[in-house]
Amino acid sequence: MLAVEGLNSFYGQAHILHGVGFAVGSGEVAVLLGRNGAGKSTTMKSLIGLVRPASGSVRFGNREVARMEPFRRAQLGLGYVPEERRIFAELTVMENLDVGRQPARDGLRPWTPERLFTLFPNLGAMRRRPGGRMSGGEQQMLTIARTLMGNPRFLLLDEPSEGLSPLIVEQMAAAIHALRQEGLSILLAEQNLHFAAEVATQAVILESGRVAWTGSMAALRADAGTHGRYLAV
Amino acid sequence: MGFLLVHALTGLAGASSLFLVASGLTVIFGVTRIVNFAHGSLTMLGAYVGWTVLTRLPRDPAWFALGVAGTAAALAALGALLEMGLLRRLYRSPELFQLLATFGVVLIVQDAALATWGPDDLTISRPPWLRAYVRIADERFPVYDLVLIAIGPAVLACLWLLFNRTRWGRLVRAATWDREMVGALGVDQRVLFTSVFALGAGLAGLAGALGLPAGSANLGIDLSVITEAFVVVVIGGLGSITGAYLASLLIGLLQAFGVVLIPKATLVLVFVVMAAVLVLRPNGLLGRGGAPTALAGTATPVRPPTRGMLLGWGLLLLAALAAPLVAGPYALSILTEAAVAVLFAASLHFVMGPGGMASFGHAAWFGIGAYAAGLSAQGLGVPMPGALLLAPLAAGVAAVLFGAFVVRLSGVYLAMLTLAFAQIVWAAAFQWVSVTGGDNGILGIWPPAWASGPAVVYLLALTLCAGGAAVLQRVLYSPFGYALRASRDSPLRAEAIGLDTRRIRLAAFAVAGAAAGLAGGVFTFVKGSVFPGFVSIPHSMDALVMVLLGGVQTMAGPVVGALAYTGLYDGLLRATAYWRLVLGAAIVLLVLAFPEGIAGAVQRRLRRA
Repeated sequence: MLAVEGLNSFYGQAHILHGVGFAVGSGEVAVLLGRNGAGKSTTMKSLIGLVRPASGSVRFGNREVARMEPFRRAQLGLGYVPEERRIFAELTVMENLDVGRQPARDGLRPWTPERLFTLFPNLGAMRRRPGGRMSGGEQQMLTIARTLMGNPRFLLLDEPSEGLSPLIVEQMAAAIHALRQEGLSILLAEQNLHFAAEVATQAVILESGRVAWTGSMAALRADAGTHGRYLAV
Repeated sequence: MGFLLVHALTGLAGASSLFLVASGLTVIFGVTRIVNFAHGSLTMLGAYVGWTVLTRLPRDPAWFALGVAGTAAALAALGALLEMGLLRRLYRSPELFQLLATFGVVLIVQDAALATWGPDDLTISRPPWLRAYVRIADERFPVYDLVLIAIGPAVLACLWLLFNRTRWGRLVRAATWDREMVGALGVDQRVLFTSVFALGAGLAGLAGALGLPAGSANLGIDLSVITEAFVVVVIGGLGSITGAYLASLLIGLLQAFGVVLIPKATLVLVFVVMAAVLVLRPNGLLGRGGAPTALAGTATPVRPPTRGMLLGWGLLLLAALAAPLVAGPYALSILTEAAVAVLFAASLHFVMGPGGMASFGHAAWFGIGAYAAGLSAQGLGVPMPGALLLAPLAAGVAAVLFGAFVVRLSGVYLAMLTLAFAQIVWAAAFQWVSVTGGDNGILGIWPPAWASGPAVVYLLALTLCAGGAAVLQRVLYSPFGYALRASRDSPLRAEAIGLDTRRIRLAAFAVAGAAAGLAGGVFTFVKGSVFPGFVSIPHSMDALVMVLLGGVQTMAGPVVGALAYTGLYDGLLRATAYWRLVLGAAIVLLVLAFPEGIAGAVQRRLRRA
């Protein structure tokens, strides 16, 4: 469903991604693992287009999207949830959701605020609260819900567990399982291996902007050497 | 009591007109981050188009309302065209370049309006219903002003509904907060930007047309309106519509009562209030600190000049010194002005590039230097060398006093405060007739006999200005220069390693002010006179254009920009009556062709080669 090849991205003069390539199949949940600065977020931003890749290919469905504006990628069904959450602080929960709204897509049940409130019950209790006055965990739920309002086929989740309490992380994992049941494909960027193991089926390990290892989550857990080499701090 | 009430009502009517312009400006800024200098020009066009429409329609209230609405619609369409044709191409450029482009539009619209409608003020005939009065507390009060009073809150209410009760409004508010994220959620920002620009331009057009019954369509509207609108937007808080309304009320009432209390100093009063608000609330009344308001853009590291570059500068200086051997008196006078322009631009570049403080009012220091030299030479009989020493001294001292307020701010707010200060100086020069001679200026300040003659004046100006610019450049590679750039790039980290960033920025402000003051002092003796125009907004813009054309982040930029601009200016002035039109078009084209400045583009070429 998503196939990345030879992706090179820069921040100004700094070369961050060096020929990154991997693929995520339909209905899969894959996780990008790697240490701080390995290029996880840059990969995510390159996939939605907030960072313009200097070269390389990103195929989504059967379209080449690597040169498209972010809004066109989103309209094709690529949903991006940023690491920094980027909630519209002056807009209420309902208004934040409304900004994310896009037409329904064939074959997927369209998201409504009410359906999202069953997925994230906390949000339903604070519909009129401005985004700026929510806790980190609530903002994390809102940012995912806001992206889901666009009825994406494929979800890019950048560090959804970062800075959250264990209880909220559990809720997050449950939500990701539920989304998979809905038929979404998901790519997560994570540092929390435990969380990744709980939700993902496939793993891609980044090291200094290059893909160092790919395989199934089960294989990664069995392989202590890989784990130690690329992920241990 | 009645007298107070009527003045308060007059103030409210003025506040409504202010609000129409300022609300459009603030919405446009909030979403697109463009400081639209051309907003006053759109208001001016609204007045002219309104005049053309209303003078052709029957003179009854219904047709009047229809004509005004039609004018607003026409201006909205024009605004959309402006956004699609020009500004859309610049969203990836540094914000100051967008500003420069809108200033180019100001120049183009000036001459286009002059060519279309002529130089005379145009008024509409006022039928009885427009001249009607009501009695309020024994005073006569125009009915039309009552209508204006109602229009302000009505527009505020409509805008509130639009922004809070429609999806478009929610998208606009979201984009004001984080426009990149709105794009990542699937919203085409171009549509949003174009519609926001159309709305703002429509409001400006509405204000222009509604101003006709009590005023006229004239060529001065653009700059007077844009200055007031900036003040209102900054006092209210950038991007805040309610803030803009509160600030409009404040300024409207201040102007209405100021005319009664201190008729000579209303301009000063307005800017003093603005400075006071910004000092107390650096983000304006209802502005918030969260949204970014940076102006300088990202900087690339600068390297000390290489041997080759120093050699190049040396050759250029030798050529400049040899110029009197070949150039005639006219060419020499242009070269003299170019020398002054180089120092003026270099001093602005000093605060703006390495200092990271974009000043919109740099002419203030130039003017203070010029008046210090002029007044001391003429009034006190100080000889020329003494007057030329006093010029940078006075400007430097003023820059320290005022800079203490400025360096607390950053980005657009800082730019606006500098603009406000320049307007205070301008107002003083213009209104304090007994000292400055007002509009007539100070005349007959010529150099002594030993320094007369174009060649000597040229060499004197060249020595002082090139010398001043060289000193500024040298300072930038001194430890102070590095500390200054560190304060610009990362104030927190700079403070963490023990740099007092405010003091460093203040010192830079003072040095730049003194240098601009020297340029002003030299210019006084070159021209033999001082005028309020030295401190005007267009003169501040001249400096900005020179620096930005050259490239903010290159050390050679201000020199290249000053020479190019002086040459262009002089060539145009001689070649065509519509020099503003051509100059504006040239600025727009240059910005489109070189989004990083001429010197920046050359540097990039060189590095690639």
